[in-house]
Amino acid sequence: MTGPNQDEASVVPETDPLGQSLRVAADHRRSRRAQRVRKFGLSFAVLLIALGIWWLVTRFALVPALYLPSPAAVWDAFIQANTCRELDSGRSVCGEQNYYMWEHLIASMQRIAVGVGVAIALGPLVGFLMGSIEWLNTALEPYLNFLRSLPPLGYIGLLIVWFGIGNTSKYWLLFLAAFPPIVIATINGVRGVREDSIHAARSMGASRWQVGRYIVLPATLPEVIGGIRIAVGFAWTTVVAAELNAGIPGIGGLAYVSGQQLQTALTIACIIVIGLAAVALDALLKHLGTLLVPWYGRA
Amino acid sequence: MSFTLDEVSQRYITDSGEVVHALADTSLHVPAGQFVCVVGPSGCGKTTLLKILAGFLRPTGGQARVNDSLITGPSWERGVVFQQANLYPWLTVRKNVELGLKFRGVGAAERRETGQRCLDLVGLAGFEDQKTYELSGGMQQRAQIARVLANDPEIILMDEPFGALDALTRERLQMDLLQISRERRKTIFFITHSVEEAVFLGDRVLVMSPRPGRVVLDEPVTISQQYGRVLPGKELRSTPEFVALRDRIADTIYTGQAPA
Ligand SMILES: Nc1ncnc2c1ncn2[C@@H]1O[C@H](COP(=O)(O)OP(=O)(O)OP(=O)(O)O)[C@@H](O)[C@H]1O
Ligand SMILES: [Mg+2]
Repeated sequence: MTGPNQDEASVVPETDPLGQSLRVAADHRRSRRAQRVRKFGLSFAVLLIALGIWWLVTRFALVPALYLPSPAAVWDAFIQANTCRELDSGRSVCGEQNYYMWEHLIASMQRIAVGVGVAIALGPLVGFLMGSIEWLNTALEPYLNFLRSLPPLGYIGLLIVWFGIGNTSKYWLLFLAAFPPIVIATINGVRGVREDSIHAARSMGASRWQVGRYIVLPATLPEVIGGIRIAVGFAWTTVVAAELNAGIPGIGGLAYVSGQQLQTALTIACIIVIGLAAVALDALLKHLGTLLVPWYGRA
Repeated sequence: MSFTLDEVSQRYITDSGEVVHALADTSLHVPAGQFVCVVGPSGCGKTTLLKILAGFLRPTGGQARVNDSLITGPSWERGVVFQQANLYPWLTVRKNVELGLKFRGVGAAERRETGQRCLDLVGLAGFEDQKTYELSGGMQQRAQIARVLANDPEIILMDEPFGALDALTRERLQMDLLQISRERRKTIFFITHSVEEAVFLGDRVLVMSPRPGRVVLDEPVTISQQYGRVLPGKELRSTPEFVALRDRIADTIYTGQAPA
């Protein structure tokens, strides 16, 4: 038998619904946090192992440093690219190729913002029209697939001839890389809208226009956001191609130029920065997606 | 509003190219204000018939008319309650219910009032601002019913609307639906798998045969008239007339042909 005090303690929580639901919510938050920590721990462990192998390979000089510089050398290159230093001649030099690395990164991001931004402005519109108007789709789809399969390196030269070596040709390249995935994702989204969703709206009195505006548009949003994420990823892989010529400042340009000058450590630092920036941007977009489309996968 | 089917038939062509004769020549007249229930085995063409009436499907043969005009497409005057709730997850429950009124250009204040009344009716008061996907299946179904009622259509087409509900809620909504159909003289086309529900709700029960679907039994339900008053549910269900009709309909579904 338990004493009266203990009895009371075990009864109170059950007769206290508010306390109980608060506890459920707190438990939920705690388990979510624990889960996030676990996931992060796993990724972090993989990173440490990869760094360890890299370090071992360079430490015992299994590969010449020109091919694979050590983690420390890459870190030094990264620091040097973001600071000023005195040369033997007494002259002071800042960053690499006259720009700090973050300036290179921002220059590339600006180009991506313009190219992808225009694609985001036009892509869903074109995809929406192609998805809802059959003949338009029949007419344009082959060209879209044609454009999609072109390698950016293949036609950057053409774009430079057309639009000059400055930023315009780079914007065009990034736009052309980002546009097809957004259009195709939007078309798939429009096609995937459930027939009954449209029927229900029509039998509530929706006009064709209202069906588009109030049903198809929001129903397509998850796919559009997915398409934008793919397009941004694509833009990052294209940015080096875009910056092969006159790409300074630009993180892709810096990666290319430093590789040509056999500054391997700097090249690797650039690659890592590009990768990290891409991952961070994608995480941001993913988060934005769950904010905009909280129902995704749940309805 | 009344509706009429004139030798309406439906053949589907499947993706593999086969022709499915879903609905045999069917003629039917449902006068305004009638509550007609449709029962029949799975796959006999009940939903097909409903889609034709809703205007989602042009029949491959014959004509479907509302009053005297040909059905050429959906209209808000023919509200549809689907087998699945079909709520829009990007809208709250309230916004879903008000959507039809919004489409039709009704002002915000009136939308709010009508929507609230219909939400109260189906017992969803207090859930107005919930996400639709955070409702239970039965609550979603009730929200869908509220959405159709808010639009106040003349004809209500319902495809097994109460299938997913618990007995208590079902009974309440059945009563509400009966009241609405009687008070506002709505024409109701109601598909169900429950013979009991059909006899209880309908002024008339149609039984369809397996594919190709045909109406093999067309029975008026006149129990209330026979007793000279509207019987409460429990009493009605235990009358000999109710039991006899229920069994007759169940037999017809079972054999697929009209009783001798
Ligand atoms: N789009 C379609 N293409 C081909 N065949 C179809 C199509 N829709 C329905 N059918 C066929 O038509 C027949 C009737 O279908 P319907 O949906 O009208 O049946 P139902 O009576 O509503 O059945 P249930 O009670 O199971 O809902 C079925 O045999 C089905 O296979
Ligand atoms: Mg059906």
